[in-house]
Amino acid sequence: MAQIIVHPKTALVDVPLQIRVTGLLPSQLIMLQASLTDERGELFQSQVFYKADENGEVDLEHAGALGGDYVGIHPMGLFWSMKPKKMLSRLLKRDVINSPFLVHLSVYDITKPFSSSPDSLMASETVERWYSTPGVQRIQLKEGRVRGALFLPPGDGPFPGVIDLFGGIGGLVEFRASLLASHGFATLALAYFAYDDLPKNLDVIDIEYFEEAADILLRHPKVFGTHPLVSAFLSSPLLLSIGMAMATFLKQVAATVCINGVFLAEQVVIKYRNEKFFSFSQHLERLRINELGLLAFYSAVGNPQEEANKHGLLPVERAEGHILFIVGEKDYSVNSKIHAEQVMEQLRRHGKNNATLLSYPGAGHLIEPPYSPLCVASMNPFIPRPVLWGGETIPHAEAQEHSWKEILKFLRHHLTPTSISKL
Amino acid sequence: MVQLIVTPETALADEPICIRATGLNPFQVVTFTASLTDEKGKLFQSRAFYKANEAGNVDLDQAAALGGDYVGVHPMGLFWSLKPVNPFRRLLKQDVMNSPFYIQLDIFDSLLLEDSPKIHPKASQMIERWFSGPGLQRIPVRNGRVRGAFFLPPGEGPFPGVIDLFGGIGGLIEFRASLLASHGFGVLALAYFAYEDLPRSLLEVDLEYFEEAANMLLHHPQIQRSGIGVISVCKGAEIGLAMAIHLEQVAATICINGTNAVHETPCKYRDLVISPIPHQKEYTQIHVSGALNFRRIKGDPRDEVNQQSVLPVEKARGHILFIVGEKDECLNSKAYAEQAMEQLKSHGRSNGTLLSYPGAGHLIEPPYSPLCFASWNPFLSRPFLWGGDIRSHAAAQEHSWREIQKFLRCHLAPSRSKL
Repeated sequence: MAQIIVHPKTALVDVPLQIRVTGLLPSQLIMLQASLTDERGELFQSQVFYKADENGEVDLEHAGALGGDYVGIHPMGLFWSMKPKKMLSRLLKRDVINSPFLVHLSVYDITKPFSSSPDSLMASETVERWYSTPGVQRIQLKEGRVRGALFLPPGDGPFPGVIDLFGGIGGLVEFRASLLASHGFATLALAYFAYDDLPKNLDVIDIEYFEEAADILLRHPKVFGTHPLVSAFLSSPLLLSIGMAMATFLKQVAATVCINGVFLAEQVVIKYRNEKFFSFSQHLERLRINELGLLAFYSAVGNPQEEANKHGLLPVERAEGHILFIVGEKDYSVNSKIHAEQVMEQLRRHGKNNATLLSYPGAGHLIEPPYSPLCVASMNPFIPRPVLWGGETIPHAEAQEHSWKEILKFLRHHLTPTSISKL
Repeated sequence: MVQLIVTPETALADEPICIRATGLNPFQVVTFTASLTDEKGKLFQSRAFYKANEAGNVDLDQAAALGGDYVGVHPMGLFWSLKPVNPFRRLLKQDVMNSPFYIQLDIFDSLLLEDSPKIHPKASQMIERWFSGPGLQRIPVRNGRVRGAFFLPPGEGPFPGVIDLFGGIGGLIEFRASLLASHGFGVLALAYFAYEDLPRSLLEVDLEYFEEAANMLLHHPQIQRSGIGVISVCKGAEIGLAMAIHLEQVAATICINGTNAVHETPCKYRDLVISPIPHQKEYTQIHVSGALNFRRIKGDPRDEVNQQSVLPVEKARGHILFIVGEKDECLNSKAYAEQAMEQLKSHGRSNGTLLSYPGAGHLIEPPYSPLCFASWNPFLSRPFLWGGDIRSHAAAQEHSWREIQKFLRCHLAPSRSKL
């Protein structure tokens, strides 16, 4: 009798699983399916075809998928290749403390794949994928102008402090902050527009707001108070890389992770105290529509190497902490590689060597924690057409796994008390 | 005053047109859009952003699009980049005689990403794209077992006869036949399953059915007696190749993105039965869009076990033109065509030609047809991936259509002494 054996059945989303199917006939062709229904009732699914070995087993650590949502040996492929039934939906966990994603794994005997007749279900199993470990605390933050949610690791601390920023979708996205807290960082998921009583739109980015947030975080009894923290974030098209701006202006920032960021103040003014940055270059007529009607922004985003954009460039050489750039080379929303290389060049010209660039061929814009499904396009509330984020499924999944490990290593290295005092 | 000048306003769907806008501000950024509603009421649209020159003009023959559905100088770009507003719909003209596709061309004096009821075009022009020329006749065919539609050009003839075969979606698709007939060929759009009283699904290919159709065509008083042509795509091209080999009535065959072996369904002719290479559906891949990619499910004709399914192309007496899209995601058409050419060469035959188009996908159609990258399929629960890079695909359609007509005229000329 067929069985699916999964271990562990309950884990953090960034923990890999061992999945084995047993009790099949030798060389039997099966379809493995993973399904998940998100908090809005949207179905996400992956389907893959395997052939059992001579013992009637399929061990995802060793067996190569023949077809379906991926091919080859990919033990966690069922997770990162899931696709929404309703196109353009993005998988995004809202409640990161009280509930996990339930993923149902099923094995089917296949006769006619993708036809309307149902295949026969042979076995199934459900696993829990959590965005926080037991003991992680979530504290809603509403102090001064600052709005967000602070995630504290279990224990007394003190812990290194991190500010987590998402991009142009606004609101408050918490899943990465809760994961970081599960790895020992006191993380503030910080909102800055379209949330609570914050401005609905973003015309001016006032870095003093982010400085206020940094000071609140550093004052918390469970956070290393003497020094800085990190901002980790994901930039989005049409929006300046705020984390980079924080790194540039704020002494409090010891280390910054910039994922697919833009370093040009375009369509938005950035100010800090009495300094202002703005670039007039706007090339929306260079927007591209791909063969499926999706909008690619990358050629419309200002090129930092052009003369016209000189006064929009951030003076990144003033950043005192360390910077880790993470770039997806198949990012269709921003030409992140050019922007990251431009900043690296600017730092080099000023004799600084406090930055590292990790560039991933095949990865798209939305580089998230490991095993997150690739979201290649989705609707953005501020843009009339679906936005193409880009990425090739397998290289993107590998980039997520690798970069997450690098991010945690980078944060641990630059935020320990000894490394901080070296600044 | 802004003007949009389009010439000609009424034309065959495979004819290019000239589009110009005048009366704009110098160097102004403008949006050109094209909109078409198909016979099922579904909307298709395209748009491109241009910058006027110093005289306030944009001439699509010379100006380069800066962004939108295409970039660069592409006078017909608005047509071949049309996209369904609901993805995965295929644009396919059903009634090819009585109505054209009406396309509305608009120019806006701003960058417009999406239609808005509040923003009106500065100028508009409605144009007609016809799939049949004046005087073309359409005669429904229900002769013996044969089912289809016969298109006869105006005049006495005799005209070179051509059978037009489409692929695995079945039914009867007429638009290519009617367009080809508008260029002086007597074309029979031939159905072979899922049409009228023909079998609902394709369980076997009986070449005697196609021979009946070929004889019917040859015996028409206005069709040349010297031999017929076949234009075929996908599964139709597999059948077209089998016809070229076994039917002496066939003088010239065009195989678009087909195979060189019998797959999935047995092929028979009189007492010969060719067993097929079965499909291996476990090699189906799912594209990032969720569409199904069948490219790897057809077995390799070079495998030892598949030899009896390979079509003996060296036995074809007439000429064969293989047209291949290298980005065909439905099947590896390049490999199959190259194997067929290799087989001809190894038997000392030189009656084959291969036109291989980098960047073209599976659905290589007459010029200016929009690239259909993936579409819903009546037999599958998900959309089906055809593939193709939009710009290269458009160029391949233009080039191949000219080559197809040249090939047919050359090898179906009445003066040629026959087989």
